[in-house]
Amino acid sequence: MKRRFIFERFPERMMTRKGFLKLCAIGAGGMALNSSLFKFAFGQDGASTGRVGKKIKGLHDLVVVKGEDPYAMTVKAIESIGGMERFVKKKSVVLVKPNIGWNRFPEQAANTNPYVVGALIDMCFRSGAKRVNVFDRTCNETAQCYNNSGIEKIAKEKGANVYYPDDWNVVKAKFKYESPMEGWPVYRDALECDTFINVPVLKHHRLAGLTIAMKNLMGVCSGDRGLMHSDIGVKLAHMTDFIKPDLNVIDAYRVLLRHGPSGGDMADVMEMKTVIAGVDPVLCDSYAARLMDKDPLSLGFISHGVKNNIGSADISKADILTVTA
Amino acid sequence: MKKLVLARRLSQLFFLFLFVYFLWSADNTLAFFKADPLVSVFSLLSIIIVILTLALGRFFCGWVCPLGSIIDVCGIKAKSRDLNIRQIKYYILGFIVIFAFLGIQIAWVFDPLVITARFISLNFIPSFIFILNKIFIFLIKGLNFYAPLYDFYRLIKSSILGLKIYYFPHSFITLSFFAAICSLAFIIKRFWCRIVCPLGAIYSLISNFSIVSRHVDKCVNCMKCKINCRMSAIKEDMSYRKGECILCMDCVYDCHVKGVKFTWHAGPLRLRPKGSISRKDFLFLLSSSFLLLGFKFREEGLREKLIRPPGVSGKREFLNKCIRCGNCMRACPTNGLQPVIFESGLAGIWAPHLVPEIGYCEYNCNLCGKTCPTGAIPELSLAEKKEQRMGLANIDKAICIPWTQNRECIVCEEHCPVPAKAIKIYDESGVKKPYVDNSLCIGCGICQNKCPVRPVRAVKVSP
Repeated sequence: MKRRFIFERFPERMMTRKGFLKLCAIGAGGMALNSSLFKFAFGQDGASTGRVGKKIKGLHDLVVVKGEDPYAMTVKAIESIGGMERFVKKKSVVLVKPNIGWNRFPEQAANTNPYVVGALIDMCFRSGAKRVNVFDRTCNETAQCYNNSGIEKIAKEKGANVYYPDDWNVVKAKFKYESPMEGWPVYRDALECDTFINVPVLKHHRLAGLTIAMKNLMGVCSGDRGLMHSDIGVKLAHMTDFIKPDLNVIDAYRVLLRHGPSGGDMADVMEMKTVIAGVDPVLCDSYAARLMDKDPLSLGFISHGVKNNIGSADISKADILTVTA
Repeated sequence: MKKLVLARRLSQLFFLFLFVYFLWSADNTLAFFKADPLVSVFSLLSIIIVILTLALGRFFCGWVCPLGSIIDVCGIKAKSRDLNIRQIKYYILGFIVIFAFLGIQIAWVFDPLVITARFISLNFIPSFIFILNKIFIFLIKGLNFYAPLYDFYRLIKSSILGLKIYYFPHSFITLSFFAAICSLAFIIKRFWCRIVCPLGAIYSLISNFSIVSRHVDKCVNCMKCKINCRMSAIKEDMSYRKGECILCMDCVYDCHVKGVKFTWHAGPLRLRPKGSISRKDFLFLLSSSFLLLGFKFREEGLREKLIRPPGVSGKREFLNKCIRCGNCMRACPTNGLQPVIFESGLAGIWAPHLVPEIGYCEYNCNLCGKTCPTGAIPELSLAEKKEQRMGLANIDKAICIPWTQNRECIVCEEHCPVPAKAIKIYDESGVKKPYVDNSLCIGCGICQNKCPVRPVRAVKVSP
């Protein structure tokens, strides 16, 4: 028998009503199966109403450490606020979230000082953390940012997991109130950690005024972050409420005074030699803003943070401990 | 045991893997191109290869060339037909040389290493990584294998997999060029190597003087070696065309009576070997090559539309030096360097240009110059590279968010890598409106890349 192509057989068959309906049913079923298969294969992004904060109080509202060695200053700051054991429980997963936004060297002060990050990782492991994750969404090319900032090297030496965030591993943010950040994709690892340690660097930012702890949380947001720039104050306040960092350690060892956030000119860098630690991100930011001679409430994210009851900006009422290391 | 054939196959496999590895790591890609006399005539490695060819013959084609290895695999089932047009490759080589003297470089069209490198960099590696990545996402996200597998995925992502899936919108054309060469091998064994390859032509001319040669002691006239020879180098009378033999060693084992040997005794030296170009042919070549000058692209009076890689000065010089190997596109960490299709004429096809919408030029990076085998993109230190101007940004105030909608944005200002910020703010008190300081802008394209306005960006970099 002569073999025929499949299309050549069609004209011989009459299409009946039953046959037609059957074909439709098979097609519809196939399409339904296909879409569910696709969802099964590549998953859907879950939604989250935010991280459950630990609400651990420190011994002081703020600890400000002055000194020469950033590693020792960080250790001193954490000890003075009550020790890392207070924040990191045994066998817990910790996220240390530095600012690795730019392809710059540590001296250029665009990224968090690697020794501050290293000190925090050391202390986390000493208090019995099972795993310390370190990542940031970078603005420049990721591998070069990780490399040139010096953070990847030092964090890997200390035993932390340094990796690049994946844009497919996100959850959609959900808010109880109306928010411009509704539905924004946030990296899953930022939410699925027992302790969130926010390690920003204090520097100039043209749009937000300064970039400190609250602005640093942009680094756990996926999606097109250029769109976050309009009404950045509200968005950062809501993002802080969503993430609820347990501990903020601000690196103000080297500070970028102008041409932030990327900098690059050594003339814009000032050595302030300060490390600030605190639980309340708004208070931390307010104190850091004062260091930079800015009125905290003139900065959009701080004023919105106060408005949304995320923290207080009143430095005069806060319990601030100043020590030298 | 076909020991010599086995050794040849292992060597082919080794060099193919080495080639892919070099391109994959985008690190020491230069080695192969420095060993290519068609691309870099005076480099140490290619002189060594030429000396080795003088001793051994056309070993490069049979034992090293990655394109040759792929063609061999494609041609397993193919027949070996003797087409008497093997002189074509000398004509092609002649054209390349004549054009080189005229100041136009067309070696990139025919160089086998370049063709393979382009295929591997623009087609093979991106698709391989894409598929591997999808499999991992399926396993991790779809089947919920988070903990151990995810760590492994992250590890290979920061090492071999690379964190970006490269894509080249027009890579289909490079693929079809490569596929055409391979599909010819399905019909006739080593079609490309016999008839087209100009690098093979160079080696063929040299290996006529080589020391190692083939000797036939006994022969029963079974013609098996002649029929099987993948280069059709063996003649009816069992002598052979020395310049065609690629030392594949098949004939040694095809012979029943074990009469074929390769030894270190050269036969009588013929100064003008048969099969090479005659005086008449040479004159024909010379007189006909001017017809191809239409290949040249008219540039006078036309505005340059393409942003070239950092440090590239003259367009003419750039296109003449560029062999279109795709190394820079493979090395560019942002995937911003893309092959040109027809925007700069036939002469400019597949040369790199920067597409800021896809990727910008990383300020603190000089990888493209480092991986360029011919110096078309000059190798610059980081400090020198940061001074290079590639273009000039221009803000379209008709669509820019702060200028039209009076809402805050200045993403471009935030990302501008120039320490003094080439994007300045027009009005400090109200909504911050950006404009470009022409004296500072280096045209890296990051502002265009990060601009949130869609579908057309409000910042555009033009050369």
